[in-house]
Amino acid sequence: MPKAILIDTTKCTACRGCQVGCKEWKNYPPVATKQRGTHQNPPDLGPYNVKLVRFSEHMESDGTVKWYFFPDACRHCLDAPCKSGASLEDSIIQDKETGAVIYTEKTAKENFEAIKSSCPYDIPRLDPKTKRIVKCDMCIDRVRANLLPMCVKSCAMGAMTFGERSDILKLAATRLVAVQKNNPKAQLCDMENVSIIYLVADAPGKYHKYAVADASDSPGYMTRKEMLAGVFAPLRKATKQLQG
Amino acid sequence: MQTTAVETPAALRNIETALSRASTDIPALTPLLTAFGPLLAARARLREAAPGWTGPALVIDAERFGQGAFVLAQTEVGGGFEDMSAHLTGAARTLLPIMEQSFPAIAAELKLLGAAIASGALTPKALASAGFGDAAAVPGVSEQTMAFAASELVRPFVERQAQDLAAQVKGLPWPQTCCPVCGGAPNMSVLRRVQEDGEFLQAHGGRRFLRCSSCSTEWTHKRVSCPGCGCEEPDELLVLRDPARVHERADACKRCKAFVLCLDSGELAEVPDPDVAALTMLPLEIQAKQQGFAPLAEHPWSSL
Repeated sequence: MPKAILIDTTKCTACRGCQVGCKEWKNYPPVATKQRGTHQNPPDLGPYNVKLVRFSEHMESDGTVKWYFFPDACRHCLDAPCKSGASLEDSIIQDKETGAVIYTEKTAKENFEAIKSSCPYDIPRLDPKTKRIVKCDMCIDRVRANLLPMCVKSCAMGAMTFGERSDILKLAATRLVAVQKNNPKAQLCDMENVSIIYLVADAPGKYHKYAVADASDSPGYMTRKEMLAGVFAPLRKATKQLQG
Repeated sequence: MQTTAVETPAALRNIETALSRASTDIPALTPLLTAFGPLLAARARLREAAPGWTGPALVIDAERFGQGAFVLAQTEVGGGFEDMSAHLTGAARTLLPIMEQSFPAIAAELKLLGAAIASGALTPKALASAGFGDAAAVPGVSEQTMAFAASELVRPFVERQAQDLAAQVKGLPWPQTCCPVCGGAPNMSVLRRVQEDGEFLQAHGGRRFLRCSSCSTEWTHKRVSCPGCGCEEPDELLVLRDPARVHERADACKRCKAFVLCLDSGELAEVPDPDVAALTMLPLEIQAKQQGFAPLAEHPWSSL
């Protein structure tokens, strides 16, 4: 049965335990970085950082500053655009059991720019050493061994919950109702289309440029995502109708 | 005290998934899993259909309960579970054929027992009493087989009643090491990661739940302490485990020489059914016994 993760950003304290846990489990090497005046470090996802806690600050109309945290990683789309954008059959596969979208070693033969530009969340990165395209694989090795994904296991605040998709959707709906009491703009990001579901308390664009595939509230970009969101919506609808 | 209520349809799925996974992970245990698996699944189905506690809600004296007077010790109906004998003939029709298939060595005895129940030679009341440890004689059926079969027949009804009774004391403090419902000893423990909707840091290790050997009720208990003697000295407490299966262990105490099996489920994506988990820990149980430790309470397969 497909799996899903609910990431409740209202509980996230940006401790970056998930980011470190992921890097540890994958045994990724350290990367050179520098102080840029933010706790977001490294500045972006990379071949050795497939999970990144993003920090952003926004001034409210009353003059107060709000801090937003967003543990960013692959959303494991139900109909992954990157999979459709691949030229080789087995370079990007979707695990039937979990729904995890997995990049294989054959991605080294793919056109990185084509794969990257097909992702509505700007996730894929190129490993310069192996030439493979890399991203989160939902800790498929752990999940197959009945272990929680590393980010979920290391989340000290209980902001991440892993489980059957049907259970996670129920939990997400319950949490949304609770959070909306004090945060009317709260929403579940692209819940229908992805396996990694973010609960945000405010407009998604305030958290991250690519928090949702259609972040029209985030001015000045999103054309690619808007296009992809538009392209795949009818396809999903048709598939659902066919499946009854 | 926190207790966990088992919802049977989900529990049944959990049993089947856990059995399948255990068979793949530990092929050497397949014969054992094949023998006890169908029995565990059939018991879960019976539990789902069982009536539960049908009497009036019990009046629980919270103060006495806090001092160790478990639920059934406070009832005015004789301090036991409600009579389930009316359901045992049907349960025997369901469970005994499964047990005959699973345990060919005692199949002939089980057939005789089934015939005695069907003919009325063994009354449902006597069968129920046998399920709780009283002697009952059926020609051709050994004492051991009678005790095993009868206890398996009453267990689904006991467990279902215990679910209702445990709900009545949910939230009350229970620091004891015996079952808060029936006073039974634990034969299993589980470290469960409880998802709490609080604003504070969540413990990764999970809370420790002891599991009753008689009615399968689970209750929270101190993590680092021996449920046998209460010893909390680190030097006296020993953890036995197979390095290949780090989530399974036997928590042993050098002071009282007792042990209880423990499933550390904090890191597991799906927590297996505790009975199936205990079944897969049989090698660990044997190892603990070989080292001179005794279980606080046994499983039906413990003496194999």
